[in-house]
Amino acid sequence: MFSKKSNDIPENSSDESQNAYSEPVTEVAGEPDQSYGYENNANRANPIKPSIISEGFEFVGTITSEGVLNISGVIKGKVTAKSVLIDSSGLVEGELFSDQVMVKGKVLGDINCQELNIGPLAEVDGSVSYDSVHIQRGGKIKGHFIKK
Amino acid sequence: MVDANQSGCLFVGEGVILKGNFAVPDIASVSGVVEGDLSAKQVIVEASGLIRGKVVAESVDIRGEVAEQLTASRSLIIRSSGKVGGSVHYAEIEIEKGGSLHGDLHLI
Repeated sequence: MFSKKSNDIPENSSDESQNAYSEPVTEVAGEPDQSYGYENNANRANPIKPSIISEGFEFVGTITSEGVLNISGVIKGKVTAKSVLIDSSGLVEGELFSDQVMVKGKVLGDINCQELNIGPLAEVDGSVSYDSVHIQRGGKIKGHFIKK
Repeated sequence: MVDANQSGCLFVGEGVILKGNFAVPDIASVSGVVEGDLSAKQVIVEASGLIRGKVVAESVDIRGEVAEQLTASRSLIIRSSGKVGGSVHYAEIEIEKGGSLHGDLHLI
């Protein structure tokens, strides 16, 4: 948008009124570009629909999702989702209910799930109720384990 | 599995039931049943193996079942057919998919 404007300036520099006229033209040209970008993002997110708690984001409360939840930030509270991925920078303090759980970060609290996968750098402290578990070497786990 | 040098090792074959407390300097490989406490440098519980008692070792590899108490000061591996119950103390743990753990986990 700005580069277009700077290109216009040398052409219209002779007449100020023309220059003033050219400005709205460049902005009109810029607007559809932006909205197209937003539409594109929405289209891309629609088929998978992962909810993302990004790094640096802290959430306190209850999260309920029918889909996939990616946690790179901090959640303090109750999390319910079909599938949860806790990234290496992610932290969940509280209860976690999910069909599928992949922990690469930290969980302080209880986990209730069908399929649990714990990565090599993960930390889990709490009561874990599971159907199937896979713990990779290096994962630090404390607490009570219950196989359903 | 069976080393050429078997000194200091204990092998419990399938169908054997061993009762008592055992101190093994090197490897204890269990395919049968051990009822009692077992301490060794390395404990291997084969798929048909069962230890009912307290197990203390540096490294433990479980394809069978260990009930009651387990301490692995170096590494603990629960294979897909493995089953562990009771209190578990470990320094490093790995559980293969399908492996079962029912009890308390403590990090040493």
